[in-house]
Amino acid sequence: MKKKLAFFPALALAAALCLLSACGPKEDGRVTLTLMGKKTDLAKNYMTRIFEQYEKETGNELEILAYEDEEFEEAAAKKAEEGDLPDLMMHFNNSDLEILQPEEHFYCMDGESWIDSLTPAAKAYCENPKGKIFGLPFWEMSVSGCYYNKTLLDSLGLKPASTQKEFDVLCQALADIGQTPICWPADGCGWMYQFGLDPVFADDPERLDKLNRNEASYADVPEVADMLEWLLGASARGWFGDSYMDIGWSDISPSINSGETAMVFIWDTWFYTDFEEGKYTRDDFALMPVFMGTAEDGTYEGGNLNMLMARKDGEHLEEALGFLEFCADPDHYNAAFRGVATESVFQGQTTNIESDMVLDAEESVKEKQRVSTAEPGIVGYHTQDVCNAVTELMAGKTDVEGCIRLLDEYRVKEAKRQGAKGF
Amino acid sequence: MKGKVRRWAAALLAVAILAAAVGMITLYSRHFSRRIYEESTGYLQEIYTQVNNAFISFAEKNWGILEGWEDYINSMGGKSDAKIGEFIRKQQEYWRFTDFYFLTEDGQCMKPDGSRDKIDLSDSPDGFLPDSGRPSLLEETMSDGKSVTMFTLPVEEGEYRGFAYDAIAISYSNVDMAESLNVEAFSGKSQCFVVYADGSVLLSTQTGGNVFGNYLSYLRAGSDLSGEDLQKLQEDWETGTPGILRCKIGNAVQYISYQPIGYQDCILLGVVPEQVANSTFRQIQAGTVDLLVKIFLMVGLYVFVYLIYRNWKQTRQNRMELEYRDILFDIISNNVDDIFLMLEGGTWKADYVSPNVERLLGVPKEAVLESTEALAGCLVDPGARVSKEELGEIPVSKGRSWEQEYRNSKTGELRWYRETVYHEKVKDMEKFLFVLSDRTQERMMNQSLQEALDMAKSANEAKSHFLANMSHDIRTPMNAIVGFAALLEKDAGQQEKVREYSRKISSSSKHLLSLINDVLDMSKIESGKTSLNVEEFDLPELLEELNTILRPQAKAKSQSFKTHMQGTLTEQLTGDKLRLNQILINLLSNAIKYTPDGGKIDFFIQELPKPSPKYARLRFVVKDNGIGMSEEFLKSVFDPFAREESSMTSAIQGTGLGMAITKNLVDLMGGTIQVESRLGEGTTFTVEMSFALPDQVKDEAGWLRQKVRKVLVVNGQEDVCRDVREVLRGAGLEASYVTTADGAVREVSLAHAQGADYQAVLLDTQIGGESGLGAASRIKEELGEDAPILALASHNWSEIEDEARKAGIDAFLPKPFFVSTFWQALAPLFSGDDVRGEEAGPDEAGRAPLEGLLFLVAEDVELNAEVLYEMMKIEGASCEFAVNGKEAVELFEKSEPGHYDMILMDVQMPVMDGYEAARRIRASSHPEASTIPIVAMTANAFAEDVRNALDAGMNAHLAKPIDMEAVKALIGKILKEPGGKEA
Repeated sequence: MKKKLAFFPALALAAALCLLSACGPKEDGRVTLTLMGKKTDLAKNYMTRIFEQYEKETGNELEILAYEDEEFEEAAAKKAEEGDLPDLMMHFNNSDLEILQPEEHFYCMDGESWIDSLTPAAKAYCENPKGKIFGLPFWEMSVSGCYYNKTLLDSLGLKPASTQKEFDVLCQALADIGQTPICWPADGCGWMYQFGLDPVFADDPERLDKLNRNEASYADVPEVADMLEWLLGASARGWFGDSYMDIGWSDISPSINSGETAMVFIWDTWFYTDFEEGKYTRDDFALMPVFMGTAEDGTYEGGNLNMLMARKDGEHLEEALGFLEFCADPDHYNAAFRGVATESVFQGQTTNIESDMVLDAEESVKEKQRVSTAEPGIVGYHTQDVCNAVTELMAGKTDVEGCIRLLDEYRVKEAKRQGAKGF
Repeated sequence: MKGKVRRWAAALLAVAILAAAVGMITLYSRHFSRRIYEESTGYLQEIYTQVNNAFISFAEKNWGILEGWEDYINSMGGKSDAKIGEFIRKQQEYWRFTDFYFLTEDGQCMKPDGSRDKIDLSDSPDGFLPDSGRPSLLEETMSDGKSVTMFTLPVEEGEYRGFAYDAIAISYSNVDMAESLNVEAFSGKSQCFVVYADGSVLLSTQTGGNVFGNYLSYLRAGSDLSGEDLQKLQEDWETGTPGILRCKIGNAVQYISYQPIGYQDCILLGVVPEQVANSTFRQIQAGTVDLLVKIFLMVGLYVFVYLIYRNWKQTRQNRMELEYRDILFDIISNNVDDIFLMLEGGTWKADYVSPNVERLLGVPKEAVLESTEALAGCLVDPGARVSKEELGEIPVSKGRSWEQEYRNSKTGELRWYRETVYHEKVKDMEKFLFVLSDRTQERMMNQSLQEALDMAKSANEAKSHFLANMSHDIRTPMNAIVGFAALLEKDAGQQEKVREYSRKISSSSKHLLSLINDVLDMSKIESGKTSLNVEEFDLPELLEELNTILRPQAKAKSQSFKTHMQGTLTEQLTGDKLRLNQILINLLSNAIKYTPDGGKIDFFIQELPKPSPKYARLRFVVKDNGIGMSEEFLKSVFDPFAREESSMTSAIQGTGLGMAITKNLVDLMGGTIQVESRLGEGTTFTVEMSFALPDQVKDEAGWLRQKVRKVLVVNGQEDVCRDVREVLRGAGLEASYVTTADGAVREVSLAHAQGADYQAVLLDTQIGGESGLGAASRIKEELGEDAPILALASHNWSEIEDEARKAGIDAFLPKPFFVSTFWQALAPLFSGDDVRGEEAGPDEAGRAPLEGLLFLVAEDVELNAEVLYEMMKIEGASCEFAVNGKEAVELFEKSEPGHYDMILMDVQMPVMDGYEAARRIRASSHPEASTIPIVAMTANAFAEDVRNALDAGMNAHLAKPIDMEAVKALIGKILKEPGGKEA
């Protein structure tokens, strides 16, 4: 059973009412809007807050179609294909969105009034390669970078690095005295690789365009090889420890909070959602840029935002767009994001809290943060594909050239699957 | 033992040399390492003193520059910022520093271009230097991210572009500073730090940037320095005491040199990896050790090669000795009949096998080496094979022996071996040495001795048994002779009783004589003195003789006696006719003897396929339906004196030697004899033997074949017809047969009508129930006189001769039928000779055969002479006697030609024996020397006696005691021979 009703009582009640009223406009003019998304995404507290506010203030109802995370993309694609899309859909602006053909199925938001209220970073994230925006970003926005255990480094007489060279020196200084420098959960955590690729393509959009037109490949981008060489060298020097190939998402927190590893490439909100305190607490950590051999000064990655999109030819398009305007209202989003650790998505966002780690590195973040580019900027890019190819390399099953070929094969295959032009 | 001690001593010496060499190298290495340490630390101190001095000079130069500018800037302060800026720009171009700063005590700073920045003063141990009024040194990361080293100088408060300052500074990028401080002596592989006394890093030459915040903390966390070492280090730094130490950071050993700069309690820290600092010395050390090792290896190699050479030489010598020993051993073992094997315990594989194993047991040496099973296969009794477990039970250094019989797998020859197994341990390996010693001769000798002993015992027993038998068998007829002789004397007047007693005495005498003959024959055979008298003989003649002798005996018992010839027989053979005759007579007379009256005796003669072109093989089968023999008796039928005792045999006289003699004679002639018998059903004896063929077979009847081509056989018995027909066909004639007289007449008429007359008819005298003579006259009527009719008679034809001739019978043929006799009978008929007279017999004149003859008798025993005289007298003959050979010769030589008709010559005589006398008579000048018949009449009755007699020139041989019937028959025959009196 693919469809699952939201478990929240209010939503369930709304859904039930919707079913009883045949999901159409009510006699008093109120409507029920259908909203499809991932179960975990829909369960975020700021989302439930805005849903409740909307229903309370407008009298309209939201029928929440919550899908298990791993089933969501397939269900969404099927609905798009069958013309059965809901009034609203929550989706990240990533390569999977391209499968849903947003220009065909979703309303383009370029003319909406709330566009200008977005922070530049948020707006930049929401734009597709053609510069169009198909959804309202309504999500927490984190800063991805290298979070290091400053307490541990202090005790070892070491300082954070500000350049790639310093970072390498730092890693080697740590490794020299038996301290594993970096927590690298190679098993299934493919998002790390996009940190290295972001500056390569964000700083040179022409290069990204060529790649997306299938006029160039990764082999034409030297930094890709640089990143792979750096990963290989780091692995050989023991900077990831001995068993990094076997650890995954769930191993990050124990590794970091025990001091087993000194640094991790992650985002600040992770410390508020997934980090479990151990020998070290969140206060022991600080932020410095990510160094992966592709940017001498390092880089930070901006947040990945879930967008609320409206079905283009939906019966309740007007009401759906009204729902987005409701969400973009400063009173409403400040109420929803009150106390939520995130960077501001809206310029008028005041009730959210920003992490000390980000605040401490504010200047550096401002200077070196780049919008998440590899994902979704590279057509055909998929974190798991990259993860698989690099795992082959790290396991010694292929060399750098072979890994690049593999990355290109995966990318082209995915692009073809998406029906991207030029592939 | 000596060798072992020597080897141990050599090994110990080698170990000692090796230990000494290793010790020397170790000591040298340690000493060198210590020297290296001393040299390196001294060298490091020297290097970093120079670096320190250079750094101090550099710092003082910069501070000096700032001091030089202080007055100018102060004088221009607030008046012409542009001029100050230009001044600084020019100075920057000249001195090539990175930036110039106006500073405040709280870390705010301004560059000459008016841009502001801020420096972090929290790292400075005693706060901002302007308060102390001393020049200072800072390492800062500016807002543009660049790390710089800043030389500051407190100055009087001033203002630049509205910025109030109380210090000025010039900065150098850390990269430039690092380059200027880097120690080229260590190929850039060293690090240089300027640290505060608490370890805080002020400046680092780290390639790529400084990430060290506090080097003391780093050493505390990552080096192998103890807390005490660290404490002392910090004290040294705080007190400005220079020093050097060696520690391990991570896995790398580092030298850390430190000495105070003289400003701000700063320490210049040099960190050099040991392998870099000592590289030169290490190279020397490594080179020296390498040289020593090489020398040592060269020496070692030389010694090794020498030892190898010596070992090789020794091995070669040993191998040669081994090969020599192997060859020697192989030669020896090839010339003895003892087999040697060495087996390895556990695997039971042969390590060594003497090469004579193939000669003695027929098994290749290689096969035994592969698996000893090959040898086990030669054991006659596989069950007697010694198991591995039994071998394992033999104590070490001990042996066990037993005897085994082996069969040579190639020749099948059986040999006895004494098998001795020694269990040995050779170099902790179990070995089993097998020695197979040929004991066949010894065993055979023992066996022969045993057999001889057995035979002696047996002979003794046989002798006793023989004597007992003889005693019984001789006494029995003797008893009759003596008894009846006594009765004869008593009843001399009663003619009937005299005749009866005389007949019984004669019968007992004959039995006694046959017994003596058999005993003597047997004795001769068993003593191995029996020899064969091989000569060409005529088989039909032999069979005719047998027929003549045995048919009357069979007829006397009303027995059917038939001779069957199966297929064509070779008639001229070479062999001992006398012995063959004896064999067949024994078998046939036994058959007659042990077959009740009216029984049936069949005698088959068959020629088997020739074993070779020069030999003919004949099978003689004597079959009767007599009393037969028991199975038990069959086993000993050929044993001497073997007679089955039963009610049926008790009345039959016999010596029990006949079959033993027969068997021995058959063996002597290279033949075989088999017997089959069932009690009450009859007995069949089968004798097979080969006879050489004469070199040339006479074909005297060739011309006759031209005249006789078609023969009709007429006989009531179809099997006889077929036999005869086959014999005739085998002789190249066309033959047909009929079994009735009418059929014969019809066949002859038909052939005649068709113009295909038979040229001869072979007619049995008895055709079914009809007399053949009637048929003969009818056939004669059909064919006329041109086609002769020959009667095939199985009895004495003289009885029916007259009647037969009247019926038209032209000639008689004795049974069995032979081609030769057939031709002989036909020849006179076609040549026109009348043979009827020849067939008339000796008694033509009606006189006794010996009547009127005069014999010269050489006999030394008067009694024998008297007996002979009386017997001859009865026959109407007379005798003149000589008492020895010499006298006989003289009498003959003196006699007129024709005086004597014959000479009867005893052999054993005094003065001159009979042989010599015969030779002299033949050699004499008497006109009848070569023609006078001489007949040996002697008790020497063996075959060689006969041959000796003939060789001596005698005509025939007669054995004593004299059988007058035999004497008459022989004399009659001799006299009829060409050259004889009646010829």
